[in-house]
Amino acid sequence: MDLNLDLNANQLNHDNHYDVVIIGGGPAGATAAIYTARADLKTLVIDKGLTAGALGLTAKIANYPGVPGEISGADLLKMMREQAQSFGAIFTSDKVQAVDLTAETKTIFANGGTYTARTVIIATGSMGRGQRVKGEDELLGRGVSYCATCDAAFFRDQVVAVAGNSDEAIEEALFLTKFVQQVHFLSPTPELKAAPQMMAELTAHPKVMMHFGTAPREVMGTDRVEAVRVAQRGRPEEIIPVTGAFIYLQGGKPITDFLQGQLPISDTGCLIVDKEYQTALPGVYAVGDVLCNHVKQAVIAAAEGAVAAIAIEKQLHHRKQLVADWAK
Amino acid sequence: MSLLNDQIEKQIRQTFEALTGPVRIVLFTQGENALECEYCVETRQLLEEVSALSDKITLQVYDFVRDAQLAEQYHIDKIPAVAFLSESTVPQDYGIRLYGVPAGYEFSTLIEDILMVSQQQSALNAKTLAELKKLTQPVNIQVFVTPTCPYCPRAVVLAHQLALASELITASMVEANEFPHLSNKYQVYGVPRTVIEDVIHVEGAVPEARLVEELMKVLDGATMQKLRQEWELHLN
Repeated sequence: MDLNLDLNANQLNHDNHYDVVIIGGGPAGATAAIYTARADLKTLVIDKGLTAGALGLTAKIANYPGVPGEISGADLLKMMREQAQSFGAIFTSDKVQAVDLTAETKTIFANGGTYTARTVIIATGSMGRGQRVKGEDELLGRGVSYCATCDAAFFRDQVVAVAGNSDEAIEEALFLTKFVQQVHFLSPTPELKAAPQMMAELTAHPKVMMHFGTAPREVMGTDRVEAVRVAQRGRPEEIIPVTGAFIYLQGGKPITDFLQGQLPISDTGCLIVDKEYQTALPGVYAVGDVLCNHVKQAVIAAAEGAVAAIAIEKQLHHRKQLVADWAK
Repeated sequence: MSLLNDQIEKQIRQTFEALTGPVRIVLFTQGENALECEYCVETRQLLEEVSALSDKITLQVYDFVRDAQLAEQYHIDKIPAVAFLSESTVPQDYGIRLYGVPAGYEFSTLIEDILMVSQQQSALNAKTLAELKKLTQPVNIQVFVTPTCPYCPRAVVLAHQLALASELITASMVEANEFPHLSNKYQVYGVPRTVIEDVIHVEGAVPEARLVEELMKVLDGATMQKLRQEWELHLN
């Protein structure tokens, strides 16, 4: 019997303490990593993947300074990351579940382990969900789930729905196929936003029924999930009987749920920072699209990452003023 | 065949360098050799291999039927069951339990439990410790998990920290697939789910302050009575 023992090596690793942990590896996070790593600060960037954020999904960029011609967002991001890595920054592909930012030493709980840091930069972007689907909160743990790998075994030989269009949604749907009778895959967009080979695997799977341009409107049921009501482009609403609803939808809201109320958030759901991008908690910074005070451009997010990184360098090296080292 | 590979064994040995006091692991299984109960074989082998990695750990294996009196003394009602005791002049049982094989992500919980009991430090914050002192009656916490759930160890370890910090709290990990009757009873369709005194149900790996807030509801007689009535209705 294979027990798939997972020691959560990072948790037990004595060398998991960093000067800076950056949550999010988009232009803001990657640029911050370039600056902190170059300032000899031990830097870790935790990110869900190259194509998990807004820039990574952008097909063409032609106005990033110093990069002539058209380039894909993923390629631009790859260059930024390689630059940060060349200075010693470490990138790890992981999903942050929760954080404890209130103590002097910050703790970051991720699927792959627990990390601690002197300072944290939140650069999670703004592809978070807005409003919940009707019935979702009430039926959480009663058929509504955000983790197929955790809960798939409870839905053996049953019919379930997966809502989303990202790599994560596809991975989770494919995992579910090992257990369930059928997966109704509800993509709110006419096309999936994922790697081609993953899309091909999903759409060809005999247990998966694809519903493109279909968004869940309600998770229905009393004690347990009984169905999902969906809206489809150009077609009347439909009720699909299911016992499980696995939800991986994205939207245009700042991703702040993992903070679990530890930082003040504006009425529009954005983190509040000072001019050096520090939040209300000392040592905790936020940059990029997770803030709402600028137009959404990679170059602006990158600049914010640089300012925060320089402020952190000042803080950790006990300088009184920001020092921009133009000579480097 | 060994369950621990060289790499994991090396990591555990490094981790166990932080052990301070001796730890006694008590395993309840049933039957012998090929007739040992389902998952008990794996749990026993895993504990034998882990306990061999430090001279500060001792493992005692008991039979659930043959040693029924002892099982009752430990309040153990299902197997495989694991209890952790610190070995001072008198062994101290903190009420920390694992029901089911600590496989997958829960393997790290097993190692964390050993560390926690050895060091006798819960790492809970001061506010939580102050709240726990208000408890006046025993509280039973069950955390339902699956081995493939990356969020679950955090919920289990938090419950175990509470048990370490308060002698009134017993906290158990329950592997949902191995104990389907309990999963059905508590309507577990998602993990982690923390069940406090049968009637307070908490979904997900919540922060320490939130779990303590839920836990302290046990002191609110009116709320508990209402929750118990709802629970009775559900059971019927």
